[in-house]
Amino acid sequence: MKAFRGLDNFSVTGGLVALVLLGFLPTLFPGKYLIGVLTVAAIYGIWSVSWDFMSGLTGRENFGHSLFIGVGAYTAGFLNVQFGWGPWWSLPASMVVAAFFGLILGFPTLRLRGPYFALAMLSAAVIMQRLMLIFWEFTGGEEGIQDITPLIKDPLHYYWFVLALLGAITWFLAWMARSRWGLILRAIRGDEATCLAAGLPITTYKIASLIISAAFAGLGGALYAHYQLQVSPQLFAVVTSITIITMVYVGGMGTIFGPVGGALLLTLMTEGLRNFGEWRLMVYSLLLIFILFFLPNGIVAPTWNKIRNLFSQERP
Amino acid sequence: MEILIYGAVTSAIYALLAVGFTLIFGVARILNLAHGSFYALGAYGTYVLTSIAGLPLWSAALIAIAFVALFGVVVEKVLIRPLRHSQLGVLMISLAVALIVEQALFLVFGSEYRNVPSFVDSKINFGGVDVAGQRLLTLAVAAVAIGALYLFIQFTRLGSAILAISQDPEAAKYMGIPSDKIFSVVMAISAALAALAGVMAGPFLSVQPSMHLLPIVKAFAIVVVGGLGSIPGSIAAAFLLGYAETCVAYLISSSWTEIVSVLATLLMLVFRPAGIFGKRAAF
Amino acid sequence: MSYSTNFRSLRRLATASALLGALLGVLASPQALAQSANTKPIRIGVPTSVQLQVGRDTLTAVKMAVDDINKKGGVLGRKFEFVAADETENPETGISAIKKLTADEKVDLLIGGYTSGVTLAQLPHISAAKTIYLGVGAASPSITAKVKQDYDNYKYIFRVGPINAAHQARNLVDYISNFVIGELGYKNIAIVGENAKWVQDLVPVLAKGAKDVGADVKLTELFDTQTSDFSPLLAKVKSSGAQYMIVVLSHASSDVFAKQWHDAQVPVPYGGIDVKSMDGDFYSRIGGKSISEVAANFAVRAPLTKKTVPFFDEFKKNSANSPVYTAFFAYDSVYIYADAVKRAGSFDTDKVIKELEKTKHEGVAGEITFDEMHDVQVGKGKLSLIFAQWQDKGERVVIYPKELRTGNFILPPWMKK
Repeated sequence: MKAFRGLDNFSVTGGLVALVLLGFLPTLFPGKYLIGVLTVAAIYGIWSVSWDFMSGLTGRENFGHSLFIGVGAYTAGFLNVQFGWGPWWSLPASMVVAAFFGLILGFPTLRLRGPYFALAMLSAAVIMQRLMLIFWEFTGGEEGIQDITPLIKDPLHYYWFVLALLGAITWFLAWMARSRWGLILRAIRGDEATCLAAGLPITTYKIASLIISAAFAGLGGALYAHYQLQVSPQLFAVVTSITIITMVYVGGMGTIFGPVGGALLLTLMTEGLRNFGEWRLMVYSLLLIFILFFLPNGIVAPTWNKIRNLFSQERP
Repeated sequence: MEILIYGAVTSAIYALLAVGFTLIFGVARILNLAHGSFYALGAYGTYVLTSIAGLPLWSAALIAIAFVALFGVVVEKVLIRPLRHSQLGVLMISLAVALIVEQALFLVFGSEYRNVPSFVDSKINFGGVDVAGQRLLTLAVAAVAIGALYLFIQFTRLGSAILAISQDPEAAKYMGIPSDKIFSVVMAISAALAALAGVMAGPFLSVQPSMHLLPIVKAFAIVVVGGLGSIPGSIAAAFLLGYAETCVAYLISSSWTEIVSVLATLLMLVFRPAGIFGKRAAF
Repeated sequence: MSYSTNFRSLRRLATASALLGALLGVLASPQALAQSANTKPIRIGVPTSVQLQVGRDTLTAVKMAVDDINKKGGVLGRKFEFVAADETENPETGISAIKKLTADEKVDLLIGGYTSGVTLAQLPHISAAKTIYLGVGAASPSITAKVKQDYDNYKYIFRVGPINAAHQARNLVDYISNFVIGELGYKNIAIVGENAKWVQDLVPVLAKGAKDVGADVKLTELFDTQTSDFSPLLAKVKSSGAQYMIVVLSHASSDVFAKQWHDAQVPVPYGGIDVKSMDGDFYSRIGGKSISEVAANFAVRAPLTKKTVPFFDEFKKNSANSPVYTAFFAYDSVYIYADAVKRAGSFDTDKVIKELEKTKHEGVAGEITFDEMHDVQVGKGKLSLIFAQWQDKGERVVIYPKELRTGNFILPPWMKK
């Protein structure tokens, strides 16, 4: 949250360079496995950045982000398999449906204080997961919907597509965060009462930011559905939300670009640990505790700021 | 008639969980998401002590409960207290603890369901309904435990101290009540109650690593409905929800039961965040 | 900026870069094998529920077959080795398991499977990896239906076992007709199953078949796989007037179900397909509470084929428990693949597939042949369900089919007059 400088030239160049590097990584280390890992990392990046836009800026931590992800993914699944629509429709459709859920959930829950909002969203995500199981005749129950058609068959091209979307979304949200919008959201984090006194329509802003956050999360969900080629209630799990929150903490809450770095770092790290597969969640939780205690500002964003400061100091 | 009895048993378990949860919140303002882990550890502890260490059931249960109480105190002291300034931080870290416990149980015991032996194996016919003895025992034990807790709080010095802190922490400090020590005591009680629930319910409900999740959702639901920080509220809400769930299970289908509690939470949070008996609003 | 802050930030940068470098290094660590292509071992990937008995037995069986074939010199000069991946019972993990095996471990062949939903989710990824898959645990007909729908993409998929859900339903109908109605005289039945894909495929066939043979199906209920409290369900069964309860369980908590049924002394005996009840220690681990339950299996230690008894005895040497159904098929799969390769004279996937289709293998539980959908066939001398009952002291007594019967049926202790 400290020192969000967003879109200065240095950061934008840095971001572009990073994107290009990431795009080239599979050519340096050829193999389908790496492409798969990077694609998932990029999608987590989209989820993390969408979470950060709302919760990072306003300080209202949303423990139910997985709801928007799942909703977007299931929309993709339904349209593609049940209704037989072409896969490209999933992208706008998932955004619309997820945004809708953001709207109806935002209204009642956003007036609640921090922990209660968090838990209300958590409860909502759990309800959705249960509903998917209860109405198994429509949703495929525990085993979900299979046989979704891929958007782009070639894994490398799909990866580049997702990467491009990640870049675009990050740039857009960073721009939003830097604009008046972001200023107001951060003011809400600081002191709501003062904002109200100043006559700002904070409820509108809060709900709008949740809707935007939800829409992009849903988009990520649809991208994931077309990658995994199936959706299941696991997407709504608490674990997904916690993983994303961890990534944001590692990246740096409220910095927008930090969470992207956090997502990439953590996904790569868990893949590096893949031979200890069962220990993955353990490591995540331990990492979370570590960060909460020692690095409340995360790793990625402060590191980047230091790099930037180094460079700016070297100028005569 | 079945609904009456089964509902009572379910409510009793929920009451044990909810009372512990609301106690630690009322006194220390901690929303402890690791509460479900205490429940899980109680059940697993008993399993380990009986099947691996070969101890008789009663002693295994008592040792398991004591161990979980100790564990709760350690978690509170080491992990939660440093973050007390941020309610969200406490939430995150208790959730992290819950996940770690789940993973540890998964790594050690695997994901298969484990079998905890029952205290009572017989079947009792109660008012024309066949009930397993273990379930009735659970009901009895829960009633005794909560009754004992009530007496403890009302009639002992320590109990008054706890009440004092929950009503006004600042004033209590001025009166010389050592709040940190009290927090530990309350945490121990809270964890012990949850572990007791796990020990009693383990034999007839499932024992597997992710068993902590549902109880925490339900405990939170009950406490929200009953009013955070209010023990009578929690008990009342526990029965309300327990019976609501049982009715739904018998009349509609078992799949809908979890939705009852989660929906109740959501609705309560939205329309009356203070709960039925609560004094403190959620905003 | 002060000197110390600069230094600190430099240190942080250095640590971060070192971490990043280490990460990239770990990722890029080469997986290449040093041997030449001719003597490179044949790698079998085993995606299964490693945590469960079905998974453990799959691996034990694969190991037994692999060791045996390797001792005899391998296949076309190459030896087998295998690597496992945990697919749990969850499609997401299942897909990761397949990706790990095919893209990371680069296996030549896949043997495994358990949950039908997981296998269905894995199919597109297996197809994309163009790797032969021999299923040993999942029963949904939808899996092999894809072979017919889209042969070019899904020709890699075979089911060695179990017989698919529809065939299993028909076996159950025979059990009901000949035994439950025929010998026990119970016409009123209840059908209870977990809400999983294979059960959703099985129950309609079962219900209709049961009605056709004269049963009165009083209740059909599918419950959520996660259910841990069966009291409402058991109460419903009791009040429905059913005299026998047919169960269809695999992932659900059979342990808890049996315990609760026993503790409430439900006056309705039960039996059917209960995968967890196949475990050798099922009876003992729940304190004997599954007494009188009838559970289906595909083989028992009896000479169903020449290979049955030797297999059971060999298995006992490798594992403390008696094998569950996936073991039989996993064992057979390795040999079936080896034989197909020998006939094809090469490891080329398409050539091997052509030979696999012609398989006629004497397996542990019966003769294995495939139909046009690469699904294992039923028939005389082939696979079918065998029903055994838990009796005193944890003894499993075969009660159906009559030819294999080893003892008499018993009622639950509280129903004995």
